[in-house]
Amino acid sequence: MKVAIIVFPGSNCDSDLHYVLENLCHVSAEYVPSTATSLDGFDAVMLPGGFSYGDYLRCGAIAALTPIMGAVRQFADSGKPVIGICNGFQILTEAHLLPGVLKKNDNLKFICRPVALQVENNATPFTTKYVKDEKIHLPIAHSDGNFYADPATIDELEQNHQIVFRYVDQNPNGSVNDIAGICNRRGNVVGMMPHPERASEKIVGNDDGFKVFQSLLTLKH
Amino acid sequence: MKKFRVYVTYKPSVFDPQGDTITDAAKDLGYQTIQAIHVGKFFDIEVDDSEGTAAQTVEELAEKLLVNFNLEVYRYEQLGED
Repeated sequence: MKVAIIVFPGSNCDSDLHYVLENLCHVSAEYVPSTATSLDGFDAVMLPGGFSYGDYLRCGAIAALTPIMGAVRQFADSGKPVIGICNGFQILTEAHLLPGVLKKNDNLKFICRPVALQVENNATPFTTKYVKDEKIHLPIAHSDGNFYADPATIDELEQNHQIVFRYVDQNPNGSVNDIAGICNRRGNVVGMMPHPERASEKIVGNDDGFKVFQSLLTLKH
Repeated sequence: MKKFRVYVTYKPSVFDPQGDTITDAAKDLGYQTIQAIHVGKFFDIEVDDSEGTAAQTVEELAEKLLVNFNLEVYRYEQLGED
């Protein structure tokens, strides 16, 4: 298993992902700059959180046009696993690899705190280690995490079981149907606003996110 | 060279929390006749029009980059010509 961590100008959760993959999962992780054009030899791709291109224009909009995203699209089209976390999720929507968009939070504030989530779909490459409807806690840290899509798209997401994580107890940002994470129709591309890489070992107080990475390890390569 | 201004605004169906907050502030200032304020953004773009394609280029750019059609709509106007 060899995982690509895409690094955009302004990514800031790339080394957290690298730490979890190399030190806790004991798999090979490599930084791939957004200027690269190939993902040959990789088994999974992760788009980290951060503020790519300073969130200029719209979060993720500029990063979605970088050379590596052509390779990410091919990688995703071949059915291999891709996950975007926080800004990575925003980039995947701007690149049209996932539907919808992440709007400014309804309260217009940057929100940084743990939230309660329910695992709605445990059939993606990043959620098989969870039990369906399992309740977990993960930190969020975003200003623009308010998932929005038109009602027809939301219906489609619901009917095809493309909602992967949903906020429970309280919706922090105003997202439609309490959506915290979704996947594409095929299930191999996942985007989520919460940060599993920041909650992957007990020493930080919470390891509810570790199963995202453990799930990936169960894939045969 | 032609100058264009592209306006990007939320679709009417999309909740605009900034607009709502500013509307409330206007009412707090005593402007009770203010019924709604909507926030948008504009881009001033200068384009070489030697081949007569400037307007088409602006439209393409708006649709590929400046606008997210999940949320937003746009319109543009020509500001001037050098």
